Amino acid sequence: MPLTAEPATIPQPTIEEGTQSKDELAPTYNVVCWNDPVNLMAYVTHVFMKLFGWEKQKAQKHMLEVHEKGKSVLVREGAEKAEFYVHELQKYKLHATMERAE
Amino acid sequence: MRLIRQSENLWQYQLSKNETDILNSLVKKFPFHDNGPVQISKIEKDAKTVEREHLLADSLTEHRKELKKLAVQLLGPEKWKVGPKGNMLTLSSASREVLLQLLNDIRVGCWHALGEPESLDVPITTKTAFGYRNLMDLAGVFEMSLLEPEEQE
Repeated sequence: MPLTAEPATIPQPTIEEGTQSKDELAPTYNVVCWNDPVNLMAYVTHVFMKLFGWEKQKAQKHMLEVHEKGKSVLVREGAEKAEFYVHELQKYKLHATMERAE
Repeated sequence: MRLIRQSENLWQYQLSKNETDILNSLVKKFPFHDNGPVQISKIEKDAKTVEREHLLADSLTEHRKELKKLAVQLLGPEKWKVGPKGNMLTLSSASREVLLQLLNDIRVGCWHALGEPESLDVPITTKTAFGYRNLMDLAGVFEMSLLEPEEQE
């Protein structure tokens, strides 16, 4: 057993060009709400406010986008959170899906 | 049905006898229709998406079971008081939210039963379809009564 500790050798990290962190590689998803003729506009606004904590003005903007353009991208999230939002929106009977963001 | 009083967590509504009967019968109809096809993506159909759709289907089934349990207590006798101008229904914010979800579930269920028409203006030709449409409209009327205060803000 040596009486004096030898200096530890710390390996230097190898930095490769063009690599990305795990977060950068993880795909993101758009949570999309689609139009239907049955959900009331006031109800859709209510659900957006409740679920995303949005102000009424923002919730209405997205509701009108759904109504007039057929769909609205509500949020862009990682897979797990996007999936959570789709579950919650569908529990409210809104037609929502998650689509891989470009 | 109209909102009489609202505090931080309590909502008190006044309903006529007729409205009370209709609301009770509506809530008893839940779940009116099965969930229908579950879709989590319109574009992707890979194995991961299929797995996600199974999870979503399970989650929705569980949620409806929970809603059914809550529906039994939702309009229990302790929630009602007879007032001078009708019946008074007192709901917590959470119960109000559950009632809203139940009514909308019934409304959307009727739409599924009608064959998911792209427009609700199509003429009703059968007695069965008329029943669905009637139920859908009734659910919508009560939904709007619940949401009206938010609309006026």
